[in-house]
Amino acid sequence: MISRLSDEKSRAAIAASIERRRVDARGLLFRTVLQACLLLTLALLAVLLITVAFDSTDQLGARFWDFLGGTLRSQSGDEQLGVHQAIYGSMWIAIIVALLAFPIGIGAAVYLEEYAPRNRFTSFIEVNIRNLAGVPSIVYGLLGLALLLNGQIFGLDRLTGGRSTLSGGITLAILVLPIVVITSGEAFRAVPTALREGAYGVGATKWEMIRTQVLPYAAPGILTGTLLSMARAIGEAAPLILVGAVTGRLGDNPGLFDLGALDERFTALPIVITSWTQQSGRDAGFATAAAAAIVVLLVFVLMMNSAAIGLRNRFEKKRG
Amino acid sequence: MRDSRRRLLWLPVIVVSFALVAAACGGDEDASTPAAAPDTGSSDAAPATTAAATAEEETATAEEEMASVSGEVNISGSSTVEPISIRVAELFEDVAPDVSVTVDGPGTGDGFKLFCAGETDISDASRQIKDSEKEDCFANGITNIVELKVGVDGIAVMTNANNGAVECLSFHQLFDLIGPNGEGASTWAEASAGLPDAPLDIFGPGEESGTFDSFIEIVLEDLADEAGVDATTRTDYSPSGDDNVILQGIQSSDTSLGWVGFAFAVNASGVKLLEVDGGDGCVTPTPDTIASNEYPISRDLWIYVNADAAAANPALVAYVDFYVSDALSQAVSEVGYVPLTDAAHAETADRWHSRSLIS
Repeated sequence: MISRLSDEKSRAAIAASIERRRVDARGLLFRTVLQACLLLTLALLAVLLITVAFDSTDQLGARFWDFLGGTLRSQSGDEQLGVHQAIYGSMWIAIIVALLAFPIGIGAAVYLEEYAPRNRFTSFIEVNIRNLAGVPSIVYGLLGLALLLNGQIFGLDRLTGGRSTLSGGITLAILVLPIVVITSGEAFRAVPTALREGAYGVGATKWEMIRTQVLPYAAPGILTGTLLSMARAIGEAAPLILVGAVTGRLGDNPGLFDLGALDERFTALPIVITSWTQQSGRDAGFATAAAAAIVVLLVFVLMMNSAAIGLRNRFEKKRG
Repeated sequence: MRDSRRRLLWLPVIVVSFALVAAACGGDEDASTPAAAPDTGSSDAAPATTAAATAEEETATAEEEMASVSGEVNISGSSTVEPISIRVAELFEDVAPDVSVTVDGPGTGDGFKLFCAGETDISDASRQIKDSEKEDCFANGITNIVELKVGVDGIAVMTNANNGAVECLSFHQLFDLIGPNGEGASTWAEASAGLPDAPLDIFGPGEESGTFDSFIEIVLEDLADEAGVDATTRTDYSPSGDDNVILQGIQSSDTSLGWVGFAFAVNASGVKLLEVDGGDGCVTPTPDTIASNEYPISRDLWIYVNADAAAANPALVAYVDFYVSDALSQAVSEVGYVPLTDAAHAETADRWHSRSLIS
């Protein structure tokens, strides 16, 4: 009886909405709110990008190569000002992060996902790795300071040259390591069981199964995660300041592939952006230079991300 | 076929790993060279004579000779003096393009720690070296240190430009307002009787800053001793390590109060510099009153040079030679401080060329 009544009611409502074309006010409101959220996000991003791009034309438009080849200065925003040393620092930090964090992180993830027994201890470790990924970057800076600069453990400061590009790179590698382990772990977990069983079925050992099935299948996911984590490392300023990035003036101006300068004092793109923004009250050159350095950093990150996407597509094609 | 592709995937990783190992090893060799420099100097009495000989040569050195010098100079220390050292280095770059000068500004105290560990050649300082720091240096074999006065800085006490009620503050009033006894006072009158009954918003440098230390030493210390309280500031003010943030704070409130280096305050808009009475009447902060130390909150700026390092490093000698030359006045005024008087400048140059050491 009751159900018949409500059936009739709903039927009536449906009929009414069809015939009178009644507006679904709540649905429309919800949709509008969602659109507004998206628009707000895009608008904020657009404002940021447009202001920065506009401010940077003084440097990137008028003296593009001079700006790229120039040096870190903090007293006069003159014709020698530029980001050469910062590009050197950021580029090598990215390379060091890739070389250290990726193999170690992916290796740890392979062990955790494929070899380690499932027990309380391993899940305790996993929880802790997840927590480590959320630790503020400045804490990793302190770790780098103790480990690589003050040489409290193993005398590592002799190897890295103390306050150097190498120390900065290693610190940021430690910073992204948990993220690499987590994202790689997720990628391994997404590998279909059928693939693994198929490999075992044709007589593969565990190592052969991982090498020929799991790793190739998980490669796109691993790449996406790791390269995004690298983009994060490239944007970090706080830990680098703790391990001795130079904000004032850096004497050396090494060639981009000058390996000998890896243990020398260094600076990086986020550092010069911070430094020049602080100086911007004194000389108009610094405000435009800070904006230009932001553009360079954005291009840097974009290049890395598009490389990641390109590689991922390649792997996905292979997988297909 | 499938297998060879997989191998290719790992190839770059292996190759770059080798490159990194190579880089790390190369780094090791390089790192040991600068570390050896202070040792060679401090081992015996020889460096003093070498230093004197170098000084005689260098007085005659023309700028063309500087052009052929190459090497590295490492400077750290006060963030107040940092701009001077950097500006001098920028000017020096045109004369001696092959010398690489690196300058950092973590603070006077941190600078001396590095200097006394032999990690830097020059330490910038916004106060004279403390006895404890000197002992540190001597204990580490850094015994030959030349102390050079390079400029004068005044600390400006400021309020908002719209604040017409206050023109001049005495040390006593500053102590009441900013010292530990002012803790909790939310109006000027509450902190110090006789001042306007208006909200008091205080902005100043944080504890890590040389300007914070200097303000305490010059203004608060004696009065704090008299009052029997700790020589420090009240804790309920807004500290910042960035002078621009302090200026923004002053601009944000009509009855704000704050202190910052004269260089940063003098050109700022929306800020009024207050006269200060250090016991001999109100004095307006100007470049003249600061250079003559007539304005009571002024302080001298120093650099400390490791003479042993200089004996072993012609680049360091050339840089300091240039530092104490006419370029100094230009650099000091360009970065907003007050240049030394001619007599004081001559004394600085003389101290360097004769390598007069501190004891």
